[in-house]
Amino acid sequence: MYSKKILERFSNLSYAGGLRGGDGTGKAENGNEVVKVYISVDERGEIDTIKFKAFGGVCTIVACDIACELVEGRTLSQALALTAQEILDVIELPENKHASAHLAQEAVKLAVEDYFEKKEKEMKKKQ
Amino acid sequence: MGRKVYLDTAATTFVSSEVLTEMLPCFNAIYGNSNSVHSYGRDALAIVDRARDRVAHAIGAAKSNEIYFTSGGTEADNWAILGIARANKEKGKHIITSQIEHHAVLDACKQLEKEGFEVTYVPVDKTGLVNIAEIIHAIRKDTTMISIMAVNNEVGTIQNIKAIAKLAHEYGIIFHTDAVQAMGAIKLDVQDMEIDAMTISGHKIYGPKGSGCLYVKNGIKIDNMLFGGSQERGKRGGTLNVPAIAGFGKAVELAVRDMSINQQKIKAEREYFLKNVKEKIPYIQINGHPQQKVNSIVNMSFEMVDKESLLMLLDMDGVAVSTGSACTSNAVEESHVLKAMNVESEFANSAIRFSFGKNVSKSDIDYAVDILVKSVERLRSISAFTKAGRK
Repeated sequence: MYSKKILERFSNLSYAGGLRGGDGTGKAENGNEVVKVYISVDERGEIDTIKFKAFGGVCTIVACDIACELVEGRTLSQALALTAQEILDVIELPENKHASAHLAQEAVKLAVEDYFEKKEKEMKKKQ
Repeated sequence: MGRKVYLDTAATTFVSSEVLTEMLPCFNAIYGNSNSVHSYGRDALAIVDRARDRVAHAIGAAKSNEIYFTSGGTEADNWAILGIARANKEKGKHIITSQIEHHAVLDACKQLEKEGFEVTYVPVDKTGLVNIAEIIHAIRKDTTMISIMAVNNEVGTIQNIKAIAKLAHEYGIIFHTDAVQAMGAIKLDVQDMEIDAMTISGHKIYGPKGSGCLYVKNGIKIDNMLFGGSQERGKRGGTLNVPAIAGFGKAVELAVRDMSINQQKIKAEREYFLKNVKEKIPYIQINGHPQQKVNSIVNMSFEMVDKESLLMLLDMDGVAVSTGSACTSNAVEESHVLKAMNVESEFANSAIRFSFGKNVSKSDIDYAVDILVKSVERLRSISAFTKAGRK
């Protein structure tokens, strides 16, 4: 059902787990699957730490791990520009599992948006 | 290669050595077509006849000619549903079945609906038991058949088949049961239980894949599914698969002969497994009936854990289990059985079926539980349903 590459990635995840005190959290859902992406951002506006948690199948977990890898060290605007296709370019998922890549991409986008919202609130408070 | 433990006997079993011994000569020594009149054919026919007698005896059929060999459970279920409904359509075009049947029954019912039949899918309670009152409520003047499985393949709940069959007969309705998971697990006597038609499969009882039968009581009208030969009393054309039939006959005989000893062993395996899992893994739920169930099947939900990911993690460490339903889309499809039982979706999406067999050792279970503990902990640590900072 799944390629060796998918299964290898599934058993060697680099970004799975929680992140205490992150700067932004994105939560995306698709059917029964739920994905959360946590980011912390450095002073240059780059994502210095990224983690994910997921309740989902193998492909969703793998897609999240790849999405995290793709945006780690990138600027927030680069992270916002991440596409599902970039994830699929790294690892080929079965056609009926492409939604996993979209779910991971969506969670990353929402985490960045959450970061901006928080920053905006902070700014307003200061003003 | 690492250690492997097979806990998926409800999916299929290995072929036992006694069954294999019975089959082997049929591939080369006795290779005649059982329909041929010469000695080669007669020798093959003798093997088929012996298998038919064995199956008839094992299930308490009045006559051996009530056993029709098929290519397995799916064919037998399809044939029973389509063949009996079509043959009795002059009497009526309404069928009753349950929401938790195997797809071999459900999909055949869907086909009947396309042909103008009406089907009532009776619900089950939260333990997976069909409520007989629901069947009474569903019976109509034009109901010709009730089909209820003897044992559910996902949760192992045993239905009250005898009572349902009696009820059907009070209304002059034909009763079919899918006994694929029941064979060898509970006593089946078609006459005592008043069963008119019954499906059995070979590969769930240490027989070969592609083998099975439909028991049809003499006098029950059933249309053909396969045409083109006089085999199986003209009801199912096609050269008989003599090796598979020989193996199937032996497997059925052994399933009944060894039922008591096998069940004792499997019950001990199940209890040992459950005791260990309950001690070591919190937040679990066992799905199915607490008592009225077969020993071999344990359906268990692990909170906050996705079933497909758990299955794959277990598989990577050599432990083979099943989710009990196929994933057809990205959003993992819920089991129709657990849905009918009203199991909350968070539990349904984390449900794994463990099924035990006669060759599982205590150390196999120890290993499987160790891997299970590790895998559940791993997935819970990365679950979106646990706190952000939890490692």
